[in-house]
Amino acid sequence: MIKFERVSKLYPGGSRALADVSFSIERGSMVFLTGHSGAGKSTLLRLVMMLERASRGQVIVNGRNLSTAPDRVAPMVRRNTGMIFQDHKLLRDKTVADNVGLPLLIAGLKYSDIRKRVRAALDKVGLLDKENAWPLTLSGGEQQRVGIARAIVAMPPLLLADEPTGNLDPNLSRELFSLFEHVSEQGVTVLIASHDLNLIRQMRKRVLVLSAGRLADDIPASDDP
Amino acid sequence: MSSTKWLSQLRRKIRAWIRRHSYSFFSSLGVLLKHKIGTLMTVLVLGIAMFLPLGLYITLENLDDMNLRQDEWSAVTVFFKPGVTQDEVGRLAEELEKRMQPEIVRIISPEEGMADFREASGFGDSLEMLEENPLPWVMQVSPKPGSTEQVEHGVEELTAYLQSVDSVEVTQFDYKWLQRLGRMMELGEAAVSILIFLFGVAVVTVVANTIRLDVASHAEEIEILALVGAGNAFVRQPFLYSGLWYGVIGALLAIVLLFLTILYLDRPLGLLLETYGTVYDMRGLGVYNSLWVLLGGGFLGWLGAWISVQRYLRLLRVGGRLGRR
Repeated sequence: MIKFERVSKLYPGGSRALADVSFSIERGSMVFLTGHSGAGKSTLLRLVMMLERASRGQVIVNGRNLSTAPDRVAPMVRRNTGMIFQDHKLLRDKTVADNVGLPLLIAGLKYSDIRKRVRAALDKVGLLDKENAWPLTLSGGEQQRVGIARAIVAMPPLLLADEPTGNLDPNLSRELFSLFEHVSEQGVTVLIASHDLNLIRQMRKRVLVLSAGRLADDIPASDDP
Repeated sequence: MSSTKWLSQLRRKIRAWIRRHSYSFFSSLGVLLKHKIGTLMTVLVLGIAMFLPLGLYITLENLDDMNLRQDEWSAVTVFFKPGVTQDEVGRLAEELEKRMQPEIVRIISPEEGMADFREASGFGDSLEMLEENPLPWVMQVSPKPGSTEQVEHGVEELTAYLQSVDSVEVTQFDYKWLQRLGRMMELGEAAVSILIFLFGVAVVTVVANTIRLDVASHAEEIEILALVGAGNAFVRQPFLYSGLWYGVIGALLAIVLLFLTILYLDRPLGLLLETYGTVYDMRGLGVYNSLWVLLGGGFLGWLGAWISVQRYLRLLRVGGRLGRR
């Protein structure tokens, strides 16, 4: 689903975010990405979402080489990728339902269909009763779940999350991670950047460790419970 | 891919396109209505900016209309040689009718001329002392009506012909006057062109600036839209529609202002013209021209919005500042 081949990323000004990173992630698997802040986690996700381009090497997502793809395919790449942000990135002047329905609106779906699928997505994250609430009236954990609902509403084959548990307490974080696990069990590839090592260990999934822009470790999933 | 499948896919794409546009169409109108005061101020500026060149244009149109209606103003006066008979004058008049279809041919006999002169000059009785009428036959001919240029051309043709006729002593025409009028109209038209251009630029600039602020205040929303996969077109649309609305509403305001101005000026102008013994109804913009003004205003607004949004979208490209803190 995701394949990095000797990818380097230099930002203008010369700071090196990624250096010679290679790995590949199977379709339908759930993988954690960890490392200190500044290790290159966000840059890696930005490359997968086509927010940045690799300075060197190939980034192949869902069979498409993003290093050579033209700019105009970026919206399509993003539509096929659900992204969850640490700061939620919700529209404050739109209701929860309108926020979740945004990707479907962009895709040009019928209003009745949008409504149906928004309700299904909100049901999945347990926020059906907050359909008409404003994002700012929700707690941090609830806002994050709205973000997840928005990321899965268009049923993309790939889900990315950048520090999704950044501001949440451990219990909420665990709940969130089991929600991701649930999504991945339905065939969606899930890649989560997080530095919550305790939680990551508990999940027993594959872990990619970045350190100063290099892939320092690749810990396979452990099957024993 | 089979052709039916291809067709149904095309149909689905068109339907999605229409849905996205109808969303932008209504949401942009909603945004304008939400910020009533700001919208009102922008529209007022646009309306006045469009009113000024339109007002000058209508003034010129009316002037043109008014002048060329005054047939005698563009009449050539023909003085016949002494001793030319009424028959000869009548024949020439017929000949002219056939050749050039003039607007008016008026024949003034020496007797009529004398009567006019007596009344106008105030010599009265002293003229009785003349043994015979010294005045020749006179004819006034004005060419076919038309634009200033056409009239000018008609007068030239008429004069050239008349001067070749034996019985004609001299033709007289206040040529300078018509020329001056013609040049003045040309000058006015050039001024209108410049004004339309300058105020067009002003309209584009005002809308561009308004939309620029609009875009800046929606920066976060635009970023989020782009992050969840909105293409440039989807991000652009609501702003382009806003620009279109600004332009169309501004144009509508200009048309209404023009209408009210004409309504207001019609009576004082009528009273003024009455002292010249003329009745004139002022001409308005007309439905056809009004539609063009609406279309033009809408286009200028759209263009202004496009310029602003295009500049901003460059920042949203891959590797731009999108989503970066």
